[in-house]
Amino acid sequence: MRGLGDARIKIPDRIAKGETILVNSIVSHPMDTGFFRTAEGKPIPAWFIKDVVVTYGGEEVARFEWTSGISRDPVVSFMLKADKEAPLTMVWTDTKGSAFTRTVEIRFTAA
Amino acid sequence: MSLEQPFSRRNFVRAMGLAAAGLAGSGAVQGSDRLLAMTGVLPAGCDPEVPNEQIARIIQEITGGRPIQSGNKGHMALDMPAVAEDGRVVPVIIESNLPMTPERYVKAVHLIVDHNPDPHLAVFHLTPALGEVSIQTRIKMKRTTWVRALLVTSTGDVWADYARVNVTLNGCG
Repeated sequence: MRGLGDARIKIPDRIAKGETILVNSIVSHPMDTGFFRTAEGKPIPAWFIKDVVVTYGGEEVARFEWTSGISRDPVVSFMLKADKEAPLTMVWTDTKGSAFTRTVEIRFTAA
Repeated sequence: MSLEQPFSRRNFVRAMGLAAAGLAGSGAVQGSDRLLAMTGVLPAGCDPEVPNEQIARIIQEITGGRPIQSGNKGHMALDMPAVAEDGRVVPVIIESNLPMTPERYVKAVHLIVDHNPDPHLAVFHLTPALGEVSIQTRIKMKRTTWVRALLVTSTGDVWADYARVNVTLNGCG
């Protein structure tokens, strides 16, 4: 992972219509708890992703509410019933209001 | 087996039952509870003790007072390592075999870490479009504690599973 908010969504290479697939995701973020200090003793304020919205073909299929208890560079994976060829989008929003978006296309491979 | 036998199997079983009842009144069972807590294995249908008001409030908010179903015949599993060497990165897997149909589905999964500064760590809101419940992520843990996963269905059922995780390095600061 490089800069803040860099995100990846990984889906299987081959997807058959109606198959339930595993979706893996990662986003680059410090997920600061607000309990740590810098080497100079300055407190590091809390700053973390608090909300993740997953849409498939424009329809919200999942939404995650997070706290700073999720590890740095958050990963989350979940299942998705691939019943249509449509974009799968994830939007991660942090406590400063920054939103990081990533989209992959769900396409079926000919059987 | 002859009924005249002074120590029939039935009597033996009864004697064992009485012995167990006697133990229940002493500290021995408490000791074995502690042992169970240490090994992270709970007897079916037993939930780990709620440690404080805050956790009680979180659970009450989720369940709305409805009974929590758990134990061997449960429909969900919380999978975590028994020992987490680095509390900053502890893997979590939550799975359920409950249906994901428009009529009946898993609406939300809550993750609670008893002794973290912010115990209600995450909520995963789900829909039937997912087809199946299998969530993986990585969390921070401050110290050795119980982790609770509470699942709420669209019909209002509440299922739970628990994991006792020993944390070597504090991951919360």
